[in-house]
Amino acid sequence: MTAPFHRYTSRRGFQRRTESTIVWFFRFATYVILLCGVFIIGNICLKGLPAVTGAFRSLEQFPYVTNTFIFEAPESLYVFKHEGVKREMGDAEYRAFRETETARATAEGRPVPEFKASSYVYAAGGIWPCIVGTLLLVVGAMTIALLLGVASAIFLSEYARDGAFVRFIRLAILNLAGVPSIVFGLFGFAMFVLYFNWNVSLMAGWFTLAFMVLPVVITASEEALKAVPKGFREGSLALGATKWQTIRKNVLPYALPGILTSSILGIARVAGETAPIMFTAAYVVRDKLPWEVAKFSDFFFQGVMALPYHIYVVSSKIPQNAYTQRVQYGTAFVFLGLVALIAGSSILLRNKLRGRYQW
Amino acid sequence: MENTSPASASSSRPLATPPRVARQDDTAALPTLIDVKGLDFYYGAKQALFDINIAIPDRRVTAFIGPSGCGKSTLLRCLNRMNDLIDGTAVKRGEIKIRDIDIYGPSVDPIELRKRVGMVFQKSNPFPKSIYENIIYGLRIQGVKSKTKLDEVVEKSLRGAALWDEVKDRLHESGLSLSGGQQQRLCIARTIAVAPEVILMDEPCSALDPIATAKVEELIHELKKQFTIIIVTHSMQQAARCSDRTAFFYMGKLIEFDETHNIFMNPKNPQTEAYVSGRFG
Amino acid sequence: MPPESTTTSVVESSPPSFRIQKERTQLLGLTLDECIQGFFGGNALVAVIILGLITFFLFREGSGFFSQNRDNLSIYRLAGLEYVDLGRQPDKDHAALSRYLSDLRRRTYQYYMEEEGLSAKEAGGRLADFDVYADRFARASAPIRSQLMEWGEIANDIKARHLGNQNLAEKRRQLLAAGKTKEAAAVGILPVNFAVEVSAITATLPAYEEATATLARSLEELILAPPPLPTVELTARMARFQTLTRDFIASFPATLESMKKWDASVPVPLSQSFTAFIFGRQWLTASFWQDWYGATPLIAGSMLVSLIALALAIPLGVGAAIYVNQLASPLEQRLIKPAIEFISAIPSVVLGFFGIAVLGEFLRVASGWSFFAWIPGFPFAERLNALTAGCLLGLIAVPTIFTLAEDAINNVPRAFKEASYALGASRLQTIIRIIVPASLSGIVSAILLGLGRVIGETMVVLLCAGNRIAIPDFTAGLGVVTQPVHTMTGIIAQEMGEVEPGGIHYRALFVVGLLLFFIALLINYFAQKIVRKYKVSIG
Repeated sequence: MTAPFHRYTSRRGFQRRTESTIVWFFRFATYVILLCGVFIIGNICLKGLPAVTGAFRSLEQFPYVTNTFIFEAPESLYVFKHEGVKREMGDAEYRAFRETETARATAEGRPVPEFKASSYVYAAGGIWPCIVGTLLLVVGAMTIALLLGVASAIFLSEYARDGAFVRFIRLAILNLAGVPSIVFGLFGFAMFVLYFNWNVSLMAGWFTLAFMVLPVVITASEEALKAVPKGFREGSLALGATKWQTIRKNVLPYALPGILTSSILGIARVAGETAPIMFTAAYVVRDKLPWEVAKFSDFFFQGVMALPYHIYVVSSKIPQNAYTQRVQYGTAFVFLGLVALIAGSSILLRNKLRGRYQW
Repeated sequence: MENTSPASASSSRPLATPPRVARQDDTAALPTLIDVKGLDFYYGAKQALFDINIAIPDRRVTAFIGPSGCGKSTLLRCLNRMNDLIDGTAVKRGEIKIRDIDIYGPSVDPIELRKRVGMVFQKSNPFPKSIYENIIYGLRIQGVKSKTKLDEVVEKSLRGAALWDEVKDRLHESGLSLSGGQQQRLCIARTIAVAPEVILMDEPCSALDPIATAKVEELIHELKKQFTIIIVTHSMQQAARCSDRTAFFYMGKLIEFDETHNIFMNPKNPQTEAYVSGRFG
Repeated sequence: MPPESTTTSVVESSPPSFRIQKERTQLLGLTLDECIQGFFGGNALVAVIILGLITFFLFREGSGFFSQNRDNLSIYRLAGLEYVDLGRQPDKDHAALSRYLSDLRRRTYQYYMEEEGLSAKEAGGRLADFDVYADRFARASAPIRSQLMEWGEIANDIKARHLGNQNLAEKRRQLLAAGKTKEAAAVGILPVNFAVEVSAITATLPAYEEATATLARSLEELILAPPPLPTVELTARMARFQTLTRDFIASFPATLESMKKWDASVPVPLSQSFTAFIFGRQWLTASFWQDWYGATPLIAGSMLVSLIALALAIPLGVGAAIYVNQLASPLEQRLIKPAIEFISAIPSVVLGFFGIAVLGEFLRVASGWSFFAWIPGFPFAERLNALTAGCLLGLIAVPTIFTLAEDAINNVPRAFKEASYALGASRLQTIIRIIVPASLSGIVSAILLGLGRVIGETMVVLLCAGNRIAIPDFTAGLGVVTQPVHTMTGIIAQEMGEVEPGGIHYRALFVVGLLLFFIALLINYFAQKIVRKYKVSIG
């Protein structure tokens, strides 16, 4: 580049060096964050992926192939030496194996073989009950949160007039958003589990999680409602529609996509939190799947296994070694994948909608 | 004024209001439709209108002119109580009577009032629905379900708004696909579909190009045969072109109200004269 | 609503073509629209109600704690446990001195091995005198120790019987409530006369006094003839040991004085139950001697972990916000913002697992690199400690701080920036002198909200902070970050599942929750206050 006026182009070298140093610091900060994220996600994916991909098994009938890690319940892993061969087996397989071997030995008149197995809880089988439990928790909690949150947002955005009452409500919403999740857990335990006597149950978990995510849903819904142009409301009212007709026919339909996409972020939060469900909904282990209940009402009052709680259990209550790595990383991977799917779709949908909804 | 197409003259009042007789005679008498007396209006603590007295004639075009913030739009929005929707607004004194009914009276339902006093906004605001759905929105919410009836109203309203020929083949396309001028005429069609008696227009042409503006002004000429029209405008030429009477507002007060001709050619008040001759505002 | 008659008359007086009055369907004197508005208004109150319920239930469950803790402390005093703990002080101090000696032995041994190159056996031989000395020192406290043991058993017995009586009384109350009078009468309660029983301890004070005198004599004898040590530095340490021991001996009269003045009948005030919680230095539960519910170690742990997290997250988060908003290319902006938002979606339990599985071990190994040798506390042996948890919490706080700070920077009017450029300022000068100051309150509020996020975070600290309930030793300087800690959130998550509802431990956890709740509200309050101010200043 040629500069006709050299006085304008020259700058003191020292200043320029300082500038570029500081710019590099800012750039460094940004990329350190990204690298940390990439490293964590990469590490979990790399070590967790084999747990899922290595667990495909063919079946006799439809659907002919299954993934034992995803679609089976957790089992204890037994590691033992038998006739000089080191074997690893899940609980059920191990019992069967021991029986047949004992029977075989007795039949052949040999002494009954000794089985000295070391066992690792949860390390075999899969995480199907946890996936099911998490999905149930998410669906229930989001239903409650959306019903309450959207109604609340409609009031704030459509009906409320600025005043002490509304400011009070907004303050409450802001503060609710700052309450630590473990406090929600304590509250849910005291109110739903003990006071209402719901015990550790889906219901208790639903309400605790719904209350926790409510501020997110209200804020998201209000923003979506506010994004609907004022002209739609005025036009409708000027045609003699009542307020409710206006909202129902001419505001809500246009706000709904926005409400739903922004609320997906709330879903990611509901799925990802552990502390609120620790004492309200999650069981360490449960043999039955949620729909295997004696009567319908029992469905709501049963505890479930959940992915985040399972990760907590397998990462803190069992040792870290080669045998347990599969379930630890595998669960973390599946869980991360689930949450990433939800969060990613939210971000993508939002960007897409931003382009489409321009009035 | 006589070059009305027969279709629009006879058919743009879709609801079953009794046809008015002796319209020609009204012209001379200029009966008052809207009577505003001693109106004081407040936005919170700020007074926006001071002691407004104005008698607006039936089935004429009345224009409100004045510099920005003079209260002309405020008065317009008082006439169908759209101001109710803004926080802290209040009529502190005075009354507005339409056909001798105080529209701020306790028994008046603003929803019913707005069905009778329609409004067209500065920025055209068709709903993101089809053209057809836009027109019948007002009837839908009144519970009209008959398909034939709705079809009939759509055609009449669109003809009334001089839009039928342009859109008749694409009634089910989005109202947002129309051009700016067409959108504004769609909004007018939507308004006349509920058969109001009065149409309030809040700077309906300020966002339109001159050609679209001319079309809307032409439409106003047509519409005044069936409707009482009040138009707020920034453009003095527009007021001169399409109104019968003009009211000049300044600082929340009604300065002068007279035949449009008089306001522009022979204003009595020096402020009016200054404004219409372009010396301020 | 007006009376019917007015309505009708107005309608009649107007021409039929202009009907603007209408009777709407009413429900309890409200129109349908008003009912709908009421319904939504009620729903809007949900947030208020939930906040109220949380406060109510935390108070309801936690409120009983302070009176229960007073009972707990009262029994501690009445049963003489407090008295015995007073008497234990010299024993504890003596044990600390013994540890000083063994540390000195280790140093000397190290000197012999490393400086003089002796074999293990030779070094041990050289230290034979020292070992005899240390052994005599350690055994000097045997008399008071046996006395204390005896006392401890008596006190524990009194306490156990008293608690047993409480259980029996409860059982009797239940039987009476159930109408079983006869069974209730059969529950025999032998009341504990504290004054008489404790006198069994206090009466033997002369024996204890005698034992301390013996201890003092033998220690004085010992410090006169310390074993010789090879270097000046070690000898100086020995001299320090002698001074400490003399101070220790000099403290006996004060201890005895406080024991003589001790009076079991002085009631424990409720305020002490309160201060014992807030300032108590021990959180000790299910102990065979005495339970303590002191929140200081937890609060200190939470603070330490949060400080580490913020120390990492503030430069990274704010730096990234400035970079992305002001310096980055449009492509970078489009990619980095969602990527950082995505990091915020990583569930904390996954981060905690990562801490256990990878980061803890990595940091431990890294602390051994000579590159980091200058940092106090490095290298460290604990895989899970405040630093591990703090790093991960920092990553949790970064997206919060980044997003909010970026918003604040984005809100600085463009005109400010343009005016600065027009005056000949460089890009960086504009950022540092105009943009950052103008958005400072927004950035501060972002940091506060990040702090709120970090303090309330549970899973990461539960999994990675090491869970040792002790006040971190801040005298270690920067090395304090390598100590394992326990936190307020962690303790609730860890112990809530194991406690009996209604018991003192259960209530103590609720009080910790209440404390956490109010800290969160306080942080939120300040963040909002700052934001409000900032909105005014920008206009």
